[in-house]
Amino acid sequence: MMAATAAVDEAVASRAAAPRVVSPWNPANAVTASRYLTLPPLWWAIDHGYHQYATLFILICALLDKLDGLAARIFDCRSTFGELFDAITDGICYGFGLILVAAYGWAPVVPVVFVIALGLFNTGLRGVYLRRAGRAVNYKSYAMERIVAYTGYLIGFATSGMEVRFFYWAFMPVMLVIVLHDAKRMLVDPIPGPTPAPTARAVS
Amino acid sequence: MTLVPDGMFKLLISLITGVVAGAWTIHDLVLLARLRGANRRDSLVGDQRFGYVMGIVIGMIGVVGTLIFMRSNGVL
Repeated sequence: MMAATAAVDEAVASRAAAPRVVSPWNPANAVTASRYLTLPPLWWAIDHGYHQYATLFILICALLDKLDGLAARIFDCRSTFGELFDAITDGICYGFGLILVAAYGWAPVVPVVFVIALGLFNTGLRGVYLRRAGRAVNYKSYAMERIVAYTGYLIGFATSGMEVRFFYWAFMPVMLVIVLHDAKRMLVDPIPGPTPAPTARAVS
Repeated sequence: MTLVPDGMFKLLISLITGVVAGAWTIHDLVLLARLRGANRRDSLVGDQRFGYVMGIVIGMIGVVGTLIFMRSNGVL
C-alpha cells in the first residue's frame, strides 16, 4: 500500500516537474493565422481606391491581434511558439500593409522605408540576443509592444487619409529611440535567467 | 464604394483614434505612477518604466493628431 502511494506521489511529482507541452494547433494560433486572411481584401480595397474598406480590413487585422492574446489566456494555451508566431505575423501583416500604402502613394515613402529598415534591424538584434542566451527565449520589450500597435495604426491613418504626414513623421523619432534602447538591452545588458516552470502544489 | 457617408467616416475614425489614444495615455500614466516605489536597479522595472513613458508619448501624439484632423476637417 505504502509502495503504491509512493509510486503515485512520484508520478504526480514528475508530471509537475515536466514542462507543460502546448500544441501549436490551438485556438490562439488559429486567431493569429486568421489575420493573414485580411491581407488580400486589404490589397483589393487599396487597389480599387476604397479607403473605407481598406480601413475596415486593417482594423479587423489589428483587432485579431488583440484577440489572440485573449484566446491564449482563456484557453490556457500560451507558448513560446505562439509568441514568436504572433511577432512574425505582426511583422508580415504590418510590413505588407505599409509597403502597400506607400506603393499606392497613400503614405510618404521615406518614413515607411525607415520603419521597415528599423524593424528588420530589430529582428536581427533578436537573433543576436537568442545566440547570446543560447536557448529559446522571447525578448520582451514594453516599449516595442507599444510601437507595434502604433505601426498598425499607421496603416489605418494612411487608408483613412487621417493626418498622414503628421503621424508618419512623428513616428520616426519615437521608433528610433525605442530601437536604440532595445539594442542596448539585447547587445550589452545581462540576459535574465530562465523563468522557472510552474509547478503543482506539493502533495501532502 | 463606401460603407458610410464621408462625414460620418471622419467622425468615426476621429472618435476611435482619439478615445484609444486618450485611454492609452491615461492607462500608461497610471502604470507609471504605480512604479514609483519600485527598485530602479531592476532591469525589468527599468524596461517597464521606459515602455510606459513611450506609451504616454505615443498616446499624446494620437490625441494631438486627432485634434489637428478634427479642426482641419470641421469635425470639431
